[in-house]
Amino acid sequence: MPDKRLSVLLLALALILAGCAAEKKVSEKTTPKPSKEIVIGVTDKITELDPANAYDFYTWEVLNNIMGGLMRYKPGTTQLEPYLAESYEIKNNGTVYIFHLRKDLKFADGTPCTAYDVVRSIKRVMKIQGDPSWLVTDFVKDVKALDKYTVEFDLKKPVSYFLALVATPPYFPVSPKYDPDKIDPDQTAGGVGPYRIVKWVRDQELILEANPYFFEKPKTDRIVIRFYKDATTLRLALQRGDVDIAWRTLSPVDIMTLKKDPNVKVYEVPGAFIRYLVLNLNMSPTNNKLVRQAIAYAINRTDIAERVYMGTVEPLYSLIPKGMWSHLDVFKKYGDGNIEKARELLKKAGYDEHHKLKLVLWWTPTHYGDTEKDLAQVIKEQLEKTGVIEVQLKSAEWSTFVDYERKGVMMMSLLGWYPDYLDPDDYMTPFLKSGSNKWLGNGYSNPKMDEILEKAATTTDIKERTKLYEEAQKILAEDVPIIPLVQGKLFVVAKKNIKGIELDPTMILRYWTLEKIEQ
Amino acid sequence: MGSLKEYIIMRALLVIPTVFILLTLVFFILRILPGDPIVAMLGQKVPPEVLEKLRAELGLNKPIWEQYIDYLSHVIRGDLGRSMIWGRRPVIEEIMDRFPATLELTIFSFAISVFLGITTGSIAAFRRGSKIDTGMRLYSIIAYTLFIPWFGMLLQMLFGVYLDLLPIGGRIDPGLEPPHITGLYVLDSILTMHWRSLESALAHLILPSLTLGIVLSGAYTRLVRNNLIEVLNQDFIRAYRARGVRNRKIAFHAMKNAFIPIITLMGLQFAILLAGAVLTETTFSWPGIGTFLLERIQYRDYTSVQGVIVFYALFVAMISLIVDVIYALLDPRVRY
Repeated sequence: MPDKRLSVLLLALALILAGCAAEKKVSEKTTPKPSKEIVIGVTDKITELDPANAYDFYTWEVLNNIMGGLMRYKPGTTQLEPYLAESYEIKNNGTVYIFHLRKDLKFADGTPCTAYDVVRSIKRVMKIQGDPSWLVTDFVKDVKALDKYTVEFDLKKPVSYFLALVATPPYFPVSPKYDPDKIDPDQTAGGVGPYRIVKWVRDQELILEANPYFFEKPKTDRIVIRFYKDATTLRLALQRGDVDIAWRTLSPVDIMTLKKDPNVKVYEVPGAFIRYLVLNLNMSPTNNKLVRQAIAYAINRTDIAERVYMGTVEPLYSLIPKGMWSHLDVFKKYGDGNIEKARELLKKAGYDEHHKLKLVLWWTPTHYGDTEKDLAQVIKEQLEKTGVIEVQLKSAEWSTFVDYERKGVMMMSLLGWYPDYLDPDDYMTPFLKSGSNKWLGNGYSNPKMDEILEKAATTTDIKERTKLYEEAQKILAEDVPIIPLVQGKLFVVAKKNIKGIELDPTMILRYWTLEKIEQ
Repeated sequence: MGSLKEYIIMRALLVIPTVFILLTLVFFILRILPGDPIVAMLGQKVPPEVLEKLRAELGLNKPIWEQYIDYLSHVIRGDLGRSMIWGRRPVIEEIMDRFPATLELTIFSFAISVFLGITTGSIAAFRRGSKIDTGMRLYSIIAYTLFIPWFGMLLQMLFGVYLDLLPIGGRIDPGLEPPHITGLYVLDSILTMHWRSLESALAHLILPSLTLGIVLSGAYTRLVRNNLIEVLNQDFIRAYRARGVRNRKIAFHAMKNAFIPIITLMGLQFAILLAGAVLTETTFSWPGIGTFLLERIQYRDYTSVQGVIVFYALFVAMISLIVDVIYALLDPRVRY
């Protein structure tokens, strides 16, 4: 009897093994792709397809391709232009915005989209109160449809960058299929945009097809997104030809190697992504302005860009990134790696070789990629080069790091910022205005700064706003609560036969301009 | 067999306190860690009032023991709750989306590791002391010490890029997913006769399961070899030889006797397999539950992490139960 059982077991084993053996034989390549299809690989993920709650960079990119807003950034520029709207009017000192919609708007299933849909969608965002809903609720008092093709926004107070806000996903009209009261994370009905979703398998793939009812026909009918977990795998997938385009985010090393690869082309995206060092003003010794300025002198941005990022980023001398209006290189006055000046200030502050300045620098290994530890190390080296500073490195993983940040328990910490809307306000107010910068926990507050920022946010005249932001940046460089380090560039690596990659500081890849030239 | 039935019931009942203890530990450890899901997601962006409101919505402002009792009372009713981030989907949905991928990978890796381990182990035992034996033992040590991401990448370079034979990431080519029955692509595509899907699913499985399978086979090689040598030295084998029984038959009887501890190892290895799957999944962009768990720990998605742990615990308990039953069937001396 036991013999029989054993033989059954062995037989089962043999079957499994036979299966493995058979498996090894399958090695032919899969069938060639249809020419009207472009495959994009990313290491990002789609968190949820609901603009009422999605609040991460990559999901916003996908939403921008399957939906659209009343305004958009003209591809390749930072200029706003009407998109689903034909025109707009600003009334009552900038507290009322009226948008006139195009009359040919239709959702992906052919249902017409009218002003009532726009109002329904935005009210839905206000009701659900999801993660990014503050982009609506902080500014909009009410939104109503004046007729089938006219939408009116009543604002709580004048907002100079309201048109930029309208270009963000929480303002996108969504299909009536979205749950009216609840977050609808798996909804694929989309909005009014160049593409519609044919298939979505979480963390695996997203297949898009041209929306036949949209007023602009995409260059490529079918876009496939493949999700990778690992930057190296993504790079290999590009070299193998599994993907036509490798998008966010390849590592600096891989980008350098791919630049030499004759089969692919590397595109640089002028990024609006910034990295900076936060100094705590509630903690000794960084509460001393001389110490903060000395640190600003000792930091060497070119060295960071080269050694840590292999030239994949640019030095940044203000919080407002280069290329955006009102940007001033205010930190240039400190220079890069200006050891002598740093020592001089530290001496004034009472530190020398015998009585060294002791600093603690915090960094997080789980949010800014593999290069982060190098960044911390290089900054430590640069500061210690003065001979008067001693830096202790400490790390905490992301959730802890953000928590510590808010609680203000870190002396110096390394952070980064992706903008919500492209306006100098989004690079200044959250960091420098008392109250708005609570999350930084560094206790910076300057009434003069608050006044300027408040005024700049409510003025509509761009010349005046420019002046105000320039002034604010100068105060920033004087007070040094934050030291800007570098401005990120993003890279798209594509096969040679891919055309139509148009990139701008929004950092959003527009799938509808992509084209594959058959060879 | 009546006693066996009782034993199974006892074992099944014992699973309850095991899961309970594990869950309690995970629950409190997660909450001792600084940060919470809301801070991790939005700490940088939203005003403090909104943050507080969102935390209240998730019940994170309640005393910890209240949260604990709330959570337990739901789990007892079979409700794992909803994820706390990214769309707040039901945890069980999140798990079932990904578990089939992990199960498929685990089954294939398991089969490969057992096959390789038993083959190399028995070859080593029968050729004891020879150069082949040394080679096999070397293999077992090397396999056991391989670092999965490194070894996986090596295979990716070799078979994926240079030889251009196999895909290096993902579960299947886009658009080829078979209709959903079990979620195991290989099985589903056989059941629904989608042969192109089957081909693609198998091709995608080779490298990840080979990576994990080879790494785990090392332990079997050593165990099989040592056990087999021990059995081969026993009196009954000598008796067989004295009676002139054919070598092949002797090998069969020896294998059968050496098999019992190996079955135990298989049960234990299955749990290790799930752990190894985390690394393999990341290397090969396999959309499984291991990477999901890792991601959610980072974002302090309490409910998801707890849900996965409960699920894993039940799964491993079930496997070890099955192993015990097989053990009892295989070895007539085992009585419960």
